[in-house]
Amino acid sequence: MTLSLENVCRRYGDVVALDHLSLSVPSGQVVGFLGPNGAGKTTAMRAVFGLVALDAGLVTWNGAPVGPEERRRFGYMPEERGLYPGMVVREQIEYLARLHGLGGTDAARATRSWLEQVGVADRAESKVESLSLGNQQRVQLAAALVHDPEVLVLDEPMSGLDPVGIDAVGEILTKQAAAGRGVLFSSHQLDLVEHLCESVAIIDHGRLVAEGRVDDLARAGSSRLVVRVEGDADGGWARGLTGVTVSGMDGGAVRLVLDHEASSQAVLEAAMRAGRVEQFGFERRRLSEVFREAVA
Amino acid sequence: MRYVVLAVAAVLIAVRVWRRRRRSPGVRVRPRSRLRWDLGGVVGLVAEREIRERFRSRVFKVGTAVILIVVAAGVVVPALRHGHRAHERVGVVGALSGPLRTSLVSAGSAVGVQLTLVPEASVASADADLEAASIDVAIVDARRLIVDRALPAGDTSGSALVARAISGAVSLQGGLEAAGIPPSRAAALAHPPPLPVTSLQPARSNGTARITALYGLILLYVLLSQYGTWIMMGVAEEKASRVVEVLLSTLRPPQLLAGKVIGIGTLALAQAVTIVAVAFALAAAVGSDLVRGAAPGELLAILAWLVLGYSFYCWVYAAGGALADRQEHVQTLAFPLQVPILFGYITSLTALGSSNPSTFIHVLGYLPPTAPFAMSVLVADGAATWWSFALSAALTVAATAGIARLAAGVYARAVLRTGRRVRVREVLFRPPA
Repeated sequence: MTLSLENVCRRYGDVVALDHLSLSVPSGQVVGFLGPNGAGKTTAMRAVFGLVALDAGLVTWNGAPVGPEERRRFGYMPEERGLYPGMVVREQIEYLARLHGLGGTDAARATRSWLEQVGVADRAESKVESLSLGNQQRVQLAAALVHDPEVLVLDEPMSGLDPVGIDAVGEILTKQAAAGRGVLFSSHQLDLVEHLCESVAIIDHGRLVAEGRVDDLARAGSSRLVVRVEGDADGGWARGLTGVTVSGMDGGAVRLVLDHEASSQAVLEAAMRAGRVEQFGFERRRLSEVFREAVA
Repeated sequence: MRYVVLAVAAVLIAVRVWRRRRRSPGVRVRPRSRLRWDLGGVVGLVAEREIRERFRSRVFKVGTAVILIVVAAGVVVPALRHGHRAHERVGVVGALSGPLRTSLVSAGSAVGVQLTLVPEASVASADADLEAASIDVAIVDARRLIVDRALPAGDTSGSALVARAISGAVSLQGGLEAAGIPPSRAAALAHPPPLPVTSLQPARSNGTARITALYGLILLYVLLSQYGTWIMMGVAEEKASRVVEVLLSTLRPPQLLAGKVIGIGTLALAQAVTIVAVAFALAAAVGSDLVRGAAPGELLAILAWLVLGYSFYCWVYAAGGALADRQEHVQTLAFPLQVPILFGYITSLTALGSSNPSTFIHVLGYLPPTAPFAMSVLVADGAATWWSFALSAALTVAATAGIARLAAGVYARAVLRTGRRVRVREVLFRPPA
């Protein structure tokens, strides 16, 4: 089962928010949704729930257009959190569960369970406005999960959480994907996304600029080598090699970028000629580098 | 009662026409505006939450208590004051024949006062009791009256009316007896049976019906203003707290809006019925004119206008709330919506005092924004015919359908626009955000 945005377009006056954007969230995967501020992430996520009218394109679930009935089986956490400030936490989550179609008993049971899982069971009878922002965030996550949705769309679910909270939310999202749910979440915490997500979609100015498995994106593009040669101070031995650029020194090791003309074997031989080779290995690109390259 | 039946019939016909139009294949229905009135489903859940949360709120509890206290005071205090005036004690010095005693009591009843005759041993003791205010007037040997303080010629107080009535009755009885007519015959002549009266037109409502209408107007004004503002604040709260985005991810805007107005409307009607029930229970207990003067049909007509008036205004207030970005904007936006309510209320209140409603009030009775107030006055004055009531109700129902459609569109377009106050012209007749 897959949630897809197919060629979706949305323009606000002269501003293009979504420009023929297409992306997919397969079941069982955590998909990171990345982009600079104003790239169109929130507009795309709101479009999934019909909160933004599209100028063109479709949002589909298993190939069929998404309608109100399908949306009741989705879970949503908006960027600007939304809860009734004066309402009791338990009643609020039960209410949202029932709006998604759960019966009274099931809603009560699911509410108890999710408030425990997100760590606010002891505040179940408190009003939302009396909770800290971090705990309100946890309640908001429970609201998105309480009806056992088939796909989760979470806009910046980690923002405002402490490291313990981030770990707890990360664990919940991973478990959801392991249970067969599709998870799409946006974040600016790229290390976290790299750690949690199997694949990412990066957008800029409403257009998809990179998409794929995190491993594939990390390996794509120029090869990177880290070489440590005994007594080498500035990587001078590597300068002048065909297709090789010295990108920097790091604790006695030189970082090299190889283009398609360069040969790693030739680099190894040059290093051995320069001295005893203490370290030689390919370096994986960090997601932050992939991101910067994609939106540059 | 027939007014209520007509109003209900008009609503049912309007709903049937609307549903038939929706089913008609020739009518294009946009999926986004389709609304299932699944009161057992999500609309019912929204309404249930509104009722529960509002009922628990301090504003509702304190507001209801204040209204009940004001209504109770309005019913009980006049009744108690009236009750005090309606009973006067007459000291009797010397002999008073049986027929004359009967004449005195009848004369008191004629001016709405129940008289109790108290024997006095002497003029001196009667004077003492008058000074002590234990009697209101004394009659001496069926020939003269004594009061504590002199009564001016134009005095229309209860005591003055009683003194004049007694004086007239005693003089007439004495004169008839002096003319040789036996006392029992004289009493009959003094109080002849009334002549039969026929009329060309039915009577206008009496003063007590107007009192009922007065209470009804106040109730209409307070509840329409209060619950309209509640709807506005409720919509603005959902928008300001951004919870509306979570709700609209699973509900359609018309469903959320319908649940809200049905929930708050149900609470408004329950509160109105409670207020009326308490008012009538108290009125019955203290013998107020309110319960004697009001016909059930007239009262139900006021409740029907409460429902019709709420149905008309609730949509406008909901659209107004969707334009606000913060709850502080609500007061600013509420004021223009209060103007027609206030205008209808004050104009109708003024007309209630006149014996013959003006053409202007008749016109206001057909305009949906002012009809709830003006038509209530026309009904109380007996100036509304069955067809004028039905026409006014039908016009209000038709206008409500139009307003609801327009307001639901404004609501859907404005409620997700955050960050600033939305202007009406930005969202009227435009596509959704």
